[in-house]
Amino acid sequence: MATYTGFFDMLGLRDWCDSEKKPSLLSLRNLKGEELAWYEFPFPSLDNLHSACNAIPQTRDMTAGLETGFLTVRPALRTVLDPLTQPLSWALDGALTLFTITPWWALVPIICFLCYRVSRSASVTVLVAVFMAFFLFTDHYTYAMQTLAIIFVCTFICVVLGVPMGILMSKSDTTQRVVTPILDMLQTLPTFVYLIPLIFLFKITEPKLYGMAIILYAIVPVVRLTNLGIRLVDQSVIEAAHAYGLDSRQRLLGVEIPLALPNIMAGVNQTIMMSLAMVVIASLVSAPGLGTLVLDGINNLRLGVGFVAGFAIVLLAILLDRVSKAALDRINSAEAKLK
Amino acid sequence: MIETPQNVKSPHQPEIDRNVKISVRNLYKVFGDQPEAMIEFVRSGISKTELLEKYHHVLGLNDINIDMMDGEITVIMGLSGSGKSTLIRHLNRLIEPTAGEVILDGEDVLKLTETELREVRRKRMSMVFQKFALFPHRTVSENAALSLEVRGDDLGEQQSEAQYWLDRLGLSGFEDSYPYQLSGGMQQRVGIARALCAHSEVMLLDEAFSALDPIIRSQMQDLLLELQRELNKTIVFITHDLDEALKLADHLVILKDGYVIQQGEPQQILLHPSDPYIEQFVSDINRARVLRVRSVMKAYDGEVRPDAIMIDPDITLEQVIESVNGDTSKHFVVAQDDNPIGVLSMHEIMIAMVPRRASLDGLDP
Repeated sequence: MATYTGFFDMLGLRDWCDSEKKPSLLSLRNLKGEELAWYEFPFPSLDNLHSACNAIPQTRDMTAGLETGFLTVRPALRTVLDPLTQPLSWALDGALTLFTITPWWALVPIICFLCYRVSRSASVTVLVAVFMAFFLFTDHYTYAMQTLAIIFVCTFICVVLGVPMGILMSKSDTTQRVVTPILDMLQTLPTFVYLIPLIFLFKITEPKLYGMAIILYAIVPVVRLTNLGIRLVDQSVIEAAHAYGLDSRQRLLGVEIPLALPNIMAGVNQTIMMSLAMVVIASLVSAPGLGTLVLDGINNLRLGVGFVAGFAIVLLAILLDRVSKAALDRINSAEAKLK
Repeated sequence: MIETPQNVKSPHQPEIDRNVKISVRNLYKVFGDQPEAMIEFVRSGISKTELLEKYHHVLGLNDINIDMMDGEITVIMGLSGSGKSTLIRHLNRLIEPTAGEVILDGEDVLKLTETELREVRRKRMSMVFQKFALFPHRTVSENAALSLEVRGDDLGEQQSEAQYWLDRLGLSGFEDSYPYQLSGGMQQRVGIARALCAHSEVMLLDEAFSALDPIIRSQMQDLLLELQRELNKTIVFITHDLDEALKLADHLVILKDGYVIQQGEPQQILLHPSDPYIEQFVSDINRARVLRVRSVMKAYDGEVRPDAIMIDPDITLEQVIESVNGDTSKHFVVAQDDNPIGVLSMHEIMIAMVPRRASLDGLDP
């Protein structure tokens, strides 16, 4: 006899309650036939109410309903999202192919050269070369390049989408009020939770599945810091721009973006680091790269494989951070003098 | 492109028939959530404090009426919070008014569309700021050429024009420096070069020299007067410093709590302050340096003492005293183009130098 049976009887709802004849899932305690102790007073949760009145759904009905709902809108969502995100799959496939078919003796010097171009620092370039040598020597090179390829594509897309979003946010307080909670949510949702709806939406073999997961997670800092950077531009300079009749395009390109650049670059650095964090987790949904080795280590209890791959990820993180920080410092030192 | 000097003019000579360049008519500004609704109360004479306490709106400007003459320096003076910076920003509509008109050459600036307003800001009004507000990521030369760049002039013209004004302002050799590499005074000269490059008829200077130290400030004032003699622009100058105001002004407007308490010829304001607030201001300054012979002389009535020394009407009392080494027995005849127009004695000079409160029963009628 459930606790709340009397309550529904009293309200005269017994007939309505019993009209639902669906068999209910019983709790372990019900199965054992245990009675409640005198001090136990169950909270009127969905499950407890259900045991007194069949017409009230159980919690698992609620989660099942959510799933059914999602599956109902899925075809519609797919028709919209599939073509929209298809270029992401192509970009990822293309980058992965490019990074893996280019022979190491060409790609490693190119990477070192690019690192030197953005950082203008010999020590950082040497560090990059040493790390690359480690990847090559331990046969982690191909995996590392796959990870790097995914990060390149995702960071690029994050910047292309995130900077304009940040600019829009900085121009309108309403947009900021709407977007901020979304960014907060993207940043606080456990990373695995991103994957759940994406797995339903896309085929697990499609690169855009993990591409979307990485972008959603990593786009947040670049949006936030672009917004912040533009809002922090000295108002007296903006006033002067108004006073000399600069239109909004001239103000944005000629004043706001150049002066917000240090903040925007700090956002890009954060975005790169978050892409790396996510690309490892995304190996759960078939993202290639170092993450697959970690996953192998966990799944098959191969401690050594997992450890070395983990160490390679750390090296990759240091490499990406140092290079982007050096680029950021270069901008900062140029800008710091201007302030 | 360089303007040639037309009629050379001393800022303190009385001028004949100048046109009104900018006319401010019944201008009101109320800051708050519902400024339009507050206008009724303001028009019916509510005080600034009452408006703030009862309705939580701040009265910025209260029924401002000023005519700014073509080719003159209009100085708007007031202490902080008097609304002077708010007022100057209404002239080029950096701040939108609650009610009123700002008429530039017969056209209401407040009715312009956004595009028309941008044109006005690009070509007809330039502005110099208290905190310089130079673009920190651009060189001195690029900063100076801003208005030309915005208009889309070609690069060579921008550079040569910027170069001309930077040379004029003593910044040769600093074209490729960045603003942070210059001292405050030099930065403000870049600010002025930026304004002059625009070739606008109107220049708005918002406390342009307030952030500079006294000697540099004085040099900049002289520079401005020198340029003005040549260029004859309509200048609106904001300051909180009465000495500066008296030095520069052709027309002086004194603001307090958002309304004009007195405006007119600076010498007249000095000799006839209409309000205790102005008296307070005026009592602090060196009158001998500011007052001019013309303002304190007695009209010429045909009689001249034989020992009278001939003086110019536009020199200051300090210069008169200096010319006779402080000899208090001297008498003067004021002559313009060799025609006597007034007489003055050292005794009268002394009386004129006594602040207004004490002079109530003295020289003043």
